[in-house]
This record gives sequence, structure tokens and C-alpha cells, in this order.
Amino acid sequence: MEKLLEILEELAPDVDFKTCEDLVDGRHIDSLTILSLISEIEDAFDVQIPTVEIIPANFNSAKKIWELIERLEEDN
Amino acid sequence: MSYFNKLYAFLFLPAVVFLYNIVPKKIRPIILLIISYIFFFMYSKKLVIFIIISSLSIYWAGRGMRKLNDKRDEKLKQVEKEEKKAIKEKYRTYKKVILILTVLFNFSFLFFFKYLGFFTSIVNKISSLINVSCHFKIVEHVAPIGISFYTLQAISYLVDVYHDKIEAEKKMFKVMLYLTFFPTLVEGPITRYAEVNQSIYEGKTVTYDHFCYGYQRILWGFFKKMVIADRLNVFVKTVFSCYMDYSGLTLCVGAVFYTILLYMEFSGTMDVVIGSAEMFDISLPENFRQPFFSKNISEFWSRWHITLGLWFKDYIFYPVSLSKPVKKITGVIKKIAGMRVSSLVMGGIALACVWFLNGLWHGAGWKYLFFGFYHFTLILMGDIFEPAIVWLCSKFHINRQGKSYTIFRIIKTSILVFIGELFFRAPGLAAGFKMVKRILTNFHFYGFFDEIAFLGMDITDYIIIGLALLVVLVVSIYREKKISVRDKIKEKLIALRWCIYYALIFTILIFGAYGTGYEPVAPIYADF
Repeated sequence: MEKLLEILEELAPDVDFKTCEDLVDGRHIDSLTILSLISEIEDAFDVQIPTVEIIPANFNSAKKIWELIERLEEDN
Repeated sequence: MSYFNKLYAFLFLPAVVFLYNIVPKKIRPIILLIISYIFFFMYSKKLVIFIIISSLSIYWAGRGMRKLNDKRDEKLKQVEKEEKKAIKEKYRTYKKVILILTVLFNFSFLFFFKYLGFFTSIVNKISSLINVSCHFKIVEHVAPIGISFYTLQAISYLVDVYHDKIEAEKKMFKVMLYLTFFPTLVEGPITRYAEVNQSIYEGKTVTYDHFCYGYQRILWGFFKKMVIADRLNVFVKTVFSCYMDYSGLTLCVGAVFYTILLYMEFSGTMDVVIGSAEMFDISLPENFRQPFFSKNISEFWSRWHITLGLWFKDYIFYPVSLSKPVKKITGVIKKIAGMRVSSLVMGGIALACVWFLNGLWHGAGWKYLFFGFYHFTLILMGDIFEPAIVWLCSKFHINRQGKSYTIFRIIKTSILVFIGELFFRAPGLAAGFKMVKRILTNFHFYGFFDEIAFLGMDITDYIIIGLALLVVLVVSIYREKKISVRDKIKEKLIALRWCIYYALIFTILIFGAYGTGYEPVAPIYADF
């Protein structure tokens, strides 16, 4: 989780990822940041994020993103 | 039969509700399907065959993919862990073949009806440029109503089944109803199977509350369309058809009026559509969320025609940006120029595809392609210069969240939207550029009032439009603050509530623009 928080804070330093729960719905991160995030996650955690998983529900908080990574790691 | 036809609102809809309520619950979705086909037939007659073919094709493709899933799961149970990946891959390929063939099959109808003429003219032009003596006859076909909308719905169903996001539907009539459901048929919203499949087939009894609630929304749509959009129509039509006769200032007003007309017509239609579905307790996705409060073009497109934007985001933007070739390119760029540049390139490539297709979706013509290119450029520029703007704001101590800066951004975005809509409404791309040139070279206040005096609107029209827009603005501010005006009205005493309803009805009856001197706006998005 810490590794993920590091990535997130580097991509959007103004956002408080520890508390924010509407990252996508509240437009705290835009689609370009999501693309960067996906690319970083895929490199850092050696997972492939299918496009079907790119929905607000999976990216609205650091916790949700972490759950997605864990799920993808399990699938692998 | 348009959604704004008296027959639709006061005869067709109540009759359908009555019929729907008197039949057993199980039969209700079938009644909806029959009514939807009758509705389609009233518009497109024998072309109804094409929506039937599309529905059957996606139904069978979905069933095929489901069978492959079952077979795959059976095999997975029998093999060791090491073989599982290969089996999954094998069945994914089979499913992909079904997906691609069915998508192409459905797109071929869209291409034939909407784009064949346009592409034939391009081929003819190219062949004359390179002195090849081949000239194809340009044939324009009348398209089945709503083909651009239901084809996108069909594709979303297929892709979602392919990704196992939804289960392939077992009952054929359900897939048919999903594509044909009469309120969404002509102008959307573009729904997803997962979001409507619960409510659309449930066959809930129409209650008094739902009936009233639905009509409330329908009346609001009639208000926007008949009091505002229809009143502006003659002005807009005259200015855009004889644009060389008017000064730059009048053309600017024409572009602003057209944008208001388009918003009121399309969002008004959505109110009627969503209200019609509400009567059956079917909840449809919203297509507008106060777009003119947007602070940049990217935000504008997340508030305007929302379901189309989301469709492009889910089925074009992310798949393209995360495709293997794009990842390969941006992987190299990331090493050389860093993360930001690589994600800009990644997003830029996908955005170019989205806006090329978005322009083309709106119509087969150069002006629509330019409309797409214009928005692509604005969004990409916004992304590229974002850090520079943030830096400038901090350098000059401008509070980016402050009221005055927010108002400045909203006005800037609106002006950019007006320019885009000018090209969208212009008789052609060349005409659009001529209009812009005229605005830049012939902009003056002299004679402005004399000019607009002969554009089909008198002082009363301006006052009515001004007041009606004020009402729309107040409702929009409430909605922006997440306060439901409808719930507020619901809380009022019954007498006061009915006073509000009657006021709305009489406003439409008295101030609606119909009769001599007015021309109702044709359903604009129905042509897309």
C-alpha cells in the first residue's frame, strides 16, 4: 500500500490520498493521471489492468485501487 | 411521431401506460417491446428489419460467447494449473473472433446508411485529383431511426459480454427491448445493459406517484423546447442560412442563440425521454449535468451528452490508450522524456481516435470532422499547458479556486463552445470559416438593432426567452448544489404543488412558440 501511495502522491501531489474517496467522481484525478497511474502500477506490481476494470468504482480511493491490484495479483 | 408531439404526450403515452397496467406483470415487458416496434415502424417503416437483425446478431453472439465460457470452465476443471492459461487464451481468441465479426456486421449497417455517400464522394475527389477515370454514383440512403444510438448500445452489450462484465441474456426479447425501448430509441441516452436490465424487465405497476413524477419531468422538457428552443429557431435559421448578409455581431448572437437552442432542444428531449421511462419506474442515465458551469472543455464534455462521452471513454479511449502498440510507443517515450510526456502521448493518441469518431458519429461531413478536431485540439492543449497555467497562477497570486477566476474560466469555456457550435450548425465547413472571418472583420454595433429586428423575434420574444432562461438557470444552480427542485416541490402542500404544475402548463400553453410565425425545431440529434 505504501508503494501505491508513493506513486499516487508523485502523480497528483495536491490530493490527500489517505482520506479522499471520490478521486474520479470528484474529478481530483483526470483521465491522463489515470493513464499514468495504470502505467506505473503495471510496472511496479507486474500486473495487467484490463480496460474493463477502469471504472470509477475501482479508482475512487487509494484503498479501492489497492484492492484492485490485490485482485489482479491473485488472478495472475 | 416526435416526443414533442401532442399525440405522444397526451394520447400515445397515457394509452401505453393504461395498457401496461392492465396486463399481467409477466407480459408487461413484451407489451413494451411491441409498442417500441410500433413506435419504430411509425418512423422508419420497413427499415425495422435492420434493428431486428442487429438485435438478433448481438443476442446470438452473446449466447455464443456464453457457451464458450461454459466450455472453457468445464475444461479448466479437468486440467492442471500450467495448462489453464493456454486454455483461457484459446477461448478468449474464439470469443474475440465472434466479437469482431459481430461488431463489424453491425457497423456495416451504420456505414451503409450514414457514411457510404460521404466516403464515395471522397473516393471520387481523390480519383479526379490523381486523374483516374473512375466516378462512383453517390447514393444517400434514409437510415433507420436511431441507428447511431442503438448501434453503440449493441456494441456495448457485446463488449461487456466479451469481458464477462455482464451475463449474456438468455431471453431474446430482452435484448430486442434493450435496443428498441421507445423512449430512448430516437435520441438516446445511450444506455448500458447492466444499468437498465433490472428495471426494464421488472414490469412494475405504474403508480400515481410515478405517473405524476414522469409527467412533471416531461412538462419541464416541453417548457425548455417550446418556450425557448422553438422561439429561437427562426432567428437561428435565418442567420445561418444568409450569414453573408449580417454583421459579425449578429453572427455572434446567432452562434450563442444556436447553442442555447441546441441545449434546450436536446436536454428538453432528454427530460421527455427520462420522464416517459420514469412513468414505468425505469430509471435512465442522465445526459446533461449543467454543462455551462464547466471550467474547461474537458469538463464540458463530461457534462454534455454524458452517455456518449462515457461510451467513447470506455470503448475507445481506454482500450486504445492501453493497447499494446500504444503502450510500446509510450514505454520508449517514458524512458526518454519521462512520465508526463508519455502519458500525454498515450492520452493524445487515444483522444485523437475518440474525437475523430465523435465528429464522424455526429455526421458524415467535413464540418463534423473539424468539430471533432477542434475539441481534440482544445482538450489536448488544456492538458499540455495545465502545468504552465498552474505556474502562472501561483506567480501572479491568482487563486484558482476563487470566484472571479472560476467565472473567468466558465466564460472562456462557453465562448469556446459557441465557436464549436457555430461550425456545427454552419451549412458547411467553408461556410463556418467564412462566418468566423466575418465576425473578425465585420464586427460593429452600427445597425445591429435594425438587423435583429427582422429576424423573427420581437421584444416580447426576448423578454420571454430571458425570463425562461432565468428559470432554467435557477434550477441549474439548485441542481449544481445537489438540491433536487422536484423533491422540494414534492414537499409542498398539495394545493401549492398543483399551482406550480398549472403555472408550468399554462406557461407552455401561453408562451410556447407555436402557430403563425414560429417553426418548431426538428429533433436535431435524431439525424445523427
